[in-house]
Amino acid sequence: MVSEKIWFIINVSLGLLTVLLALTLAGLQLPTLGQAQYYFDKEEPLCGVDWKGEITPMQDLDRCCLQAREQLECHRETDNDFDWLCQGGTGSAVVKYRLNNKAYNYCGQQPYW
Amino acid sequence: MKKKEVSSGKQKKVFYVLLAIVIFLSVLNVVKARGLLIPAQHPVDVKNKVVHLDQMTLEQKIGQMVIVVGDKENYWPWKNMQLGGIHLFSRQNENIFTNTITDFQYQMPIPFFVTADLEGCISPFGFIRQFTSASEINTTDEAFAKGVDEGAFLHRLGFNLDFAPVVDLKDDIWKCRSFPGDEEKISELAQAYLSGLQTQGVLGTAKHYPGKTLIVKDPHKYVVSAEIGRKDIFPYRYLKEKGEVKAIMVSHVITSGEISSERVPSVVSKKLIDELRQNFSGLIITDEIHMLGLQKFYGSLDEMYLAVFKAGSDVVLDFDKDPTEIYHMIQVIKAAVERGEISQDQIDASVTRILKAKGFTVA
Repeated sequence: MVSEKIWFIINVSLGLLTVLLALTLAGLQLPTLGQAQYYFDKEEPLCGVDWKGEITPMQDLDRCCLQAREQLECHRETDNDFDWLCQGGTGSAVVKYRLNNKAYNYCGQQPYW
Repeated sequence: MKKKEVSSGKQKKVFYVLLAIVIFLSVLNVVKARGLLIPAQHPVDVKNKVVHLDQMTLEQKIGQMVIVVGDKENYWPWKNMQLGGIHLFSRQNENIFTNTITDFQYQMPIPFFVTADLEGCISPFGFIRQFTSASEINTTDEAFAKGVDEGAFLHRLGFNLDFAPVVDLKDDIWKCRSFPGDEEKISELAQAYLSGLQTQGVLGTAKHYPGKTLIVKDPHKYVVSAEIGRKDIFPYRYLKEKGEVKAIMVSHVITSGEISSERVPSVVSKKLIDELRQNFSGLIITDEIHMLGLQKFYGSLDEMYLAVFKAGSDVVLDFDKDPTEIYHMIQVIKAAVERGEISQDQIDASVTRILKAKGFTVA
């Protein structure tokens, strides 16, 4: 037998969920976990282009995100200042993109990600 | 005891009502997110490769001017809106590419442009095969052979538009996207590459107009500003004169000097695009429009959409994966045309160029 208190908690939760779903349907953009992570992460976003083992910093984070998104996969791979490796092939002659967590979380918020 | 039972019964009723609402709203949200609420356009009547512009709706015309990301999750909305093209990112093998393209092209009266960034040393086919980078090409014969090789590969998979070659004179970041040499040599190599590529039925795109896009950017600024010299613009003048280049991609760089974008990003500068249009009958394509540098210029996405279309490019790259937002952009532009802010003639001229590039006769 479910107590009255439990019914109350369930109904309030459902009520909140209803409001959130209605707001989403109306097109309101609610903050995501990735946005919160990006906001609270105080390190500088870093992106590097890796070609034939030479890593060149890429200051244009938007361009970096788009190029990283064009790759087949991004996976965690720590290498010096970078935490993520995005690649669309193997071998040194394939261009790869390395990102730290801050940059990766930023990319995750982009509409094309 | 009885009072408690009545209250508990009421709570139960409220629970069932709320649960039904939550399920209903969840389904509606999923349907909306998948773009299934977007109305389908009627099929364009195409006979003997002839398209009558007056039989196309304004939405269909604007849709033809948009290239989106060809992810399968958006299969129905992209087809229903009859968009101009799909851009494909990296995939594991050839079969996935060909199946995706075949599915998208199935029963489309006006086929999609199927585009890729196979340029310089950038390739979405890294898991399938390797190509020589542009920086390793030294002669026009090599450049032509590279164009033929890449064109044949792209054509076999179903691609018909490649965003290559890069004709920026300097590449400080990748160091492998541009051809080597001075402006004259780069132009000759780009011309040879385009000739080779296009013999295989794949259109090429010289980019990124008007130059200086692959340089190290000031990290404290969202947009690159660059002084454009005669040398930067030389490859475009050369390729236009030769008549081989079928498309040019315009960047977001704010330019001054030989080519001035008048303090706005190139892609929204009407003056810059009008000048580029002189002696050029091919397609003018925007770089992807979600760069923050471009968005920062406008209070909202709607304002940015308007500015991009008003400037006069024929094709807009919008890689937003939300089909509702793409549909919204088309509605924003449609409203602007209806109130006269963007001329119908401009839209018709762009759609005519697009249809001709796709091999149609426009009546």
